[in-house]
Amino acid sequence: MTRGAMIRIGFLILALIMPFLPFVTDYILHIVILIFLYMILALGLNIVPGFNGLLDLGYVGFYGIGAYTSGLLTYHFGLSYWVIIPLAFINGAIWGILLGAPTLRLTGDYFAIVTFGFSELVVLFLTNEIWLTRGPLGLPGIDVVSIDLSLLGGPKWEFIGELPYYYLAIVMVLVTVFVMHRIQNSRLGRAWFAIRDDEVAAVSCGIKLLTYKVIAFAISAAFGAVGGSFFARWVTFLSPDMFKFWESFLVLCMIVLGGMGNIWGVMIGAAILVSLSEVLRELLPLLGLPVGVRFLAFGLIMVLMMRYRPAGMLPISAVAAQMRAGRTKRKRLKPVSRA
Amino acid sequence: MTPILEIKKLYKSFGGLEALKDITFNIDHGAIIGLIGPNGAGKTTLFNCVAGIEKPTGGQIIFNNDGNTISIGGKKPEAVTALGIARTFQNIRLFDNLTVIDNVKIGRHCRTRSLFWGAVIRSRFQQAEEKATTASANQFLDFVGLKGREEEIASSMPYGDQRRLEIARALATEPRLLMLDEPAAGMNPQESRDLMDLIRRIRDREITVLLIEHDMKVVMGVCEHVVVINHGEWLMEGRPQEVQNDPKVIEAYLGTGAANAARVG
Amino acid sequence: MDIRRLSYNRRRRLFLQQLVNGLTIGGIYAMIAVGYTMIYGVIQLINFAHGEIYMLGAFFAITFIVSLGIPFFVALPLSMACCAICGVLLDIVAYRPLRRSPRLAALITAIGMSIFLQNLAMVIWGSRPKPFPQGALPAYFEKTAVSFGGVNLSWFHLFIYGMTFTMMVGLNLIIKKTRWGKAMRAVAQNKTMAALAGINVNRVISYTFVLAGALGGAAGIMTGAFYNKIEPTMGYIAGVKAFAAAVLGGIGSVPGAMLGGLVLGVAEAFGAGYLSSLYRDGISYGVMIIVIILIPAGLFGRVLKETKKSM
Repeated sequence: MTRGAMIRIGFLILALIMPFLPFVTDYILHIVILIFLYMILALGLNIVPGFNGLLDLGYVGFYGIGAYTSGLLTYHFGLSYWVIIPLAFINGAIWGILLGAPTLRLTGDYFAIVTFGFSELVVLFLTNEIWLTRGPLGLPGIDVVSIDLSLLGGPKWEFIGELPYYYLAIVMVLVTVFVMHRIQNSRLGRAWFAIRDDEVAAVSCGIKLLTYKVIAFAISAAFGAVGGSFFARWVTFLSPDMFKFWESFLVLCMIVLGGMGNIWGVMIGAAILVSLSEVLRELLPLLGLPVGVRFLAFGLIMVLMMRYRPAGMLPISAVAAQMRAGRTKRKRLKPVSRA
Repeated sequence: MTPILEIKKLYKSFGGLEALKDITFNIDHGAIIGLIGPNGAGKTTLFNCVAGIEKPTGGQIIFNNDGNTISIGGKKPEAVTALGIARTFQNIRLFDNLTVIDNVKIGRHCRTRSLFWGAVIRSRFQQAEEKATTASANQFLDFVGLKGREEEIASSMPYGDQRRLEIARALATEPRLLMLDEPAAGMNPQESRDLMDLIRRIRDREITVLLIEHDMKVVMGVCEHVVVINHGEWLMEGRPQEVQNDPKVIEAYLGTGAANAARVG
Repeated sequence: MDIRRLSYNRRRRLFLQQLVNGLTIGGIYAMIAVGYTMIYGVIQLINFAHGEIYMLGAFFAITFIVSLGIPFFVALPLSMACCAICGVLLDIVAYRPLRRSPRLAALITAIGMSIFLQNLAMVIWGSRPKPFPQGALPAYFEKTAVSFGGVNLSWFHLFIYGMTFTMMVGLNLIIKKTRWGKAMRAVAQNKTMAALAGINVNRVISYTFVLAGALGGAAGIMTGAFYNKIEPTMGYIAGVKAFAAAVLGGIGSVPGAMLGGLVLGVAEAFGAGYLSSLYRDGISYGVMIIVIILIPAGLFGRVLKETKKSM
């Protein structure tokens, strides 16, 4: 077994036994669950800039759609969370296709702006359509997750406290990592890396650019929505201002910091930034600084990363060379004909 | 026997610039055809029109493959590749940051199918397909002489090897017609000889080869038929020796004085 | 409010009122939008932090006025100058080192700087909205200057229109007639050739940031003064809308950005007035998305120069 695999298994074991360690409070569990949630989001977002080289600034839109879908379905119909997960996935994918199909043919700058506009429209919608979402009043009283075997004559376990959510989150992260890993080493993943490296060459190998970009975007959106669905059933309260652009930026920070395109890197990025955020939240008032300085720090981190380590802490070669300055390949599809 | 590619009065203009003017010629199955002409003659534009990167302004390009006759002018590049025409690029376009074998595996893309679901659950179909992809990628690498270099990063290879890798990748798409754009550029004489040998072996696999080339030794050595274009127009075609001595061709390359000198001397 | 039930006079007044509102905010959008478009023209980067320069203009102004007692008409050009300097610093510190880096890196840097500046302002000035020190404005600004159709235009309105107009004309003159303007156009068309022709590209880019910063700062001051509300997040929304305006007009085209700003401002005012004020911001986003998808070249521009990605 490779050293890397051993380290990962070590972390997994640590995560599994963590709730039983002496100094671990509910607060710490809450933070770690948050880390797991952001890991899922980061892994989802990673597909688009990491594997495909496109900047998605509207990720929080899918997160919000997933959360509100989950929240509303639970609130009005009492749907079981186990039914909601696949629904959220499919719903997210559908929105990914709807947004992606007309926009992924655009150049990177325009695509970034359009995704940004999309997520802002989502927030506006969530805020204004009070009949549906209760707007700024928020949506409280969402049921907790439960395992309901009553139809089979068994008991019904409700998720109470952080502990059950903790293990659920671990399972969801593992599934996400598993899926990402499988995709990465498959024909689909190769096609994405080809597109990222050289679109013209990719096309000459028969890869339909738009199709594959839309697939990437849809899968990314699907995972964002699943993350949102978990969030809704975990915090049991939703309000539109939880889904502002800042979340998109934060998740972007995580994948930039950890290493775009690198599954393990983005997970580490998520862990670092969530922890950092909490640490700063406690630390800054002690230093006499307002809490908002955290955001400042994150902005600064991004700028510095792009300047000095644009491929992140754990870069993957396919991305690293590309992000470095210097020789840039002519990528225009219609080359200026000479001969 | 119908030609594998029929170019009929192909016309391409970029705004006011006429890059190709009513070019007409055919390419026979199993032949090695050279496309020559001075710089700016329109050779790469012609390639691009066939490959789908440029849309012809007029004329037709007919591809005859295994009894199917398809007009490919204006089709998208990925469709053209899927139909069986592959190409390499003048300025080598490899997937620089990927490994050698990944480059070739991506070439297999249009001949394979599995997508998201297969990748995640590793269905039997997907597993078999992946195995086949790896196996055939290795075969193509062996064919071009890059066996044993699978895990190297493409951009770290020497120039000549990169060319061979690009050819391997193009071959992986299982073309019936392979278009090589200046494959011998920058090669030393030994590499050129190896290239010519490779081209012959490709032809032996019943793949028609069309190559743009400036290196006359390669053209003379490996092409059975040569088409000359100049200023976007078809100039002449024929066997390499005929073309080499034709005064029109000499004039196109070297100017009128040289043609006269050739005639006299 | 049901339009149909209003009398003709009231309807006319509503229309004119929205028109006036629209042109006012539109002029401001235009001033910010030309900044986006000029910077995009020379370095092919969407300067996400441009909205923050706009915001800083307002904050600089109130700092000068309130803390240093500087009169309004001195604080105005002073803040503009500070914003110009901020713009140049932004380029030198954040964008210039990435000049040869891939687009993705530069975009992320721009966003990072935007977040950084927004929160820096929050730290320095607090996140609560601040009023503009109205006492610093000349008293006659309140007074009506022109009245028509039941709508009053105050001197402040006219001042804004005047400023906007002057700056647009001035900018056009600079771009068309001066050496710097020509150099900017050259760099926008082809950096390499411009450099070969002896143009100091970096300096021209800095100059562009100076102009963009000054205009953005002016827009910020006027917004803050006119709408009497200054907060660190004001650059965020205004920035996106101004970008939408720049896209509408055709990114890279200065007259396009000016026109786009006015059109967007008017569209927003009418949309908010007649359709739904809740989605006032959404109108801009919607316009932007639709324009980008359907007519990426905008009204006047070429399609985004594709130097890296294709299709």
